[in-house]
Amino acid sequence: MTPASYTYDGTLAGLLTLYAYLLAEPAEVERISAVVADQQNLFTAEVSIATDQAAAEEFWQRLTKRLSDNALKLLRRCLLADHPQQELLIYHFLLLEGEQGKKIDGMLAHPWVAQVWKLSQQVAREAHRYLGFVRFQQVQGGLYYAAIRPDHRILLLIGQHFADRFADQQWIIHDQHHGEAILYDAEKKEWLLLPMKLHAQPEATPQETQFQQLWRCYFSTLAIPERTNLKLQQGKVPLKTRSCLTEFTV
Amino acid sequence: MAADLMDKLKILADGAKYDVSCSSSGSSRSNSGGIGSAASCGICHTWTSDGRCVSLLKILMTNACIYDCAYCVNRRSNDTPRVALSPAEVAELTIGFYRRNYIEGLFLSTGVVRSPDYTMELLIQAVRTLREEYRFNGYIHLKLVPGADPLLVQQAGHWADRVSVNLELPTSSSLQLLAPDKSRDAVVQPMRQVNQLITINRAERKQSRKVPRFAPAGQSTQLIVGASNESDHQIVKLSEQLYQRMELKRVYYSAFIPVNQDTRLPARPVAPLKREHRLYQADWLLRYYGFSADELLDEARPNLDSELDPKTGWALRHIELFPVEINRASYEELLRVPGVGVLSAQRIIRARRQGHLGLDDLVRLGVVMKRARYFVTARGRSLEAAALDSSSLRSRLIDKTTGRKPQQLSLDFSSPVDDETRSLITGQL
Repeated sequence: MTPASYTYDGTLAGLLTLYAYLLAEPAEVERISAVVADQQNLFTAEVSIATDQAAAEEFWQRLTKRLSDNALKLLRRCLLADHPQQELLIYHFLLLEGEQGKKIDGMLAHPWVAQVWKLSQQVAREAHRYLGFVRFQQVQGGLYYAAIRPDHRILLLIGQHFADRFADQQWIIHDQHHGEAILYDAEKKEWLLLPMKLHAQPEATPQETQFQQLWRCYFSTLAIPERTNLKLQQGKVPLKTRSCLTEFTV
Repeated sequence: MAADLMDKLKILADGAKYDVSCSSSGSSRSNSGGIGSAASCGICHTWTSDGRCVSLLKILMTNACIYDCAYCVNRRSNDTPRVALSPAEVAELTIGFYRRNYIEGLFLSTGVVRSPDYTMELLIQAVRTLREEYRFNGYIHLKLVPGADPLLVQQAGHWADRVSVNLELPTSSSLQLLAPDKSRDAVVQPMRQVNQLITINRAERKQSRKVPRFAPAGQSTQLIVGASNESDHQIVKLSEQLYQRMELKRVYYSAFIPVNQDTRLPARPVAPLKREHRLYQADWLLRYYGFSADELLDEARPNLDSELDPKTGWALRHIELFPVEINRASYEELLRVPGVGVLSAQRIIRARRQGHLGLDDLVRLGVVMKRARYFVTARGRSLEAAALDSSSLRSRLIDKTTGRKPQQLSLDFSSPVDDETRSLITGQL
């Protein structure tokens, strides 16, 4: 059989339905993509799988029971990645898991496992970095708003950290790249992930402006001129992250 | 809050910035009904243009000081404006920054005013305000003032996550020369006391979890490197003792650059940042790789090699122990292979339970083959056709590293330096 391309509707349920379908009868897969692939390939057939909520849920239940904590962690992170081939990488991982079972935890050098591990590392690293890179600003009404533009969809990985830390303030962390946000409710002590779009820049309180000035002043004072090393700084704070960081904006 | 506060912040941050301690790790205080938590892994929030991370609001309570240490920016004889923050101002500033997620917590240091006890009380008051009034559970690193009453030291550890007292200079004779107002005893004594209190607290907490923690993130210290004529061997040896006997969490090294005009200070050292970098590498080998100071350096070779990292240097001196067969070597042996780190060694151990590893597998496990290739075999195979002797290996390894060194290893002196008013190191404590 020639390798096929598969498409799904872009939702998690859709992807899980697809995995359930593929793993039931393992096939050679060339590519898995959300919605329709933009280029038709002459030699591969394109199969579209319709989302089946029940099948997806059942598959996920089965998976969480079967996988070790470690493998599940890898899988969760990879599902949150924003990588052109993540669906295929995960499929290979699940395929191998089907053959090897729990042994997969130790197969760190297997190319399929190593790729998934690497992707999961990237997601985890970025999530950790954003524990520091979120900058809240107090807007009219007392709400604290932060915008971020991460490569991967890390909000679910950082939400609990901020909920624990800022339990007494209303806050929003808005992922402008993926168009979603976490809203925290300080009364109910709950947070939830919602799609979000910003129509106007939030207006900062006067106190907010003062703290931003203090912070920028503090930040620029802190560098030791004789040790200047911009290359090192850029490695740690990539240019793409700076538009959302108070100390790098005027 | 006005322009006045901005000026104070500038002066007091400027006075504190030379203290290199930056970490916010080692404490896992959780949020109990207030604001803040401490993450045990530590979190960096940003990096300044010198590539150093900003994790804590690092600030002095005051830059006024009764001492006159040769290397210090805040020394009595320097003609700089002297300002002070009140404990309430420190707390307000910390909370304001913290709520916006600028910082992980507070690093509070100070010049010494009136007496060590008076100064220590001021620091403690600021920290108490944060913990009690604001119910702040974030990370706090508090400096101990040498010569302060042991009771105050005890209180400091009660409120803070980490406490530290700076050793400043590696030997007591250098300390006497450059910081005549401080005695080695006054520095070492609080360090010893903190160590005892931590040990006692650990034992008490075994009996009952209700006993509050004492300095849960332990203590650290800082050494100025290059202001006096100690060798790397003396410094690494000292660090080893501090880790073993005082159970310090970290020893920080700060490259010295003379900017204060002072006849007691040496002329500009050669490549001070490179020396600092090598010392940190050696420090890591002590703490995570099972090396001892005497393995890295000895009387005959008292200084670290500037061209090679200390681990590669050690491997070249013990070439008879290599190559190591990665499918059989113990964890301790793997750790000593150049290019293999703690994480990759652990991954090798886990992965080889599933079957023999080949050389290609090592790359996927995170080993840096550029260095490791000369020191390992897999199933008896090596990437090198013939075994190399250590001198030709040395030249290969040096070529490999010099080409890709982006970091600045000497200090940038191009900008004019206004002497007297600045020195690269505060010795505020």
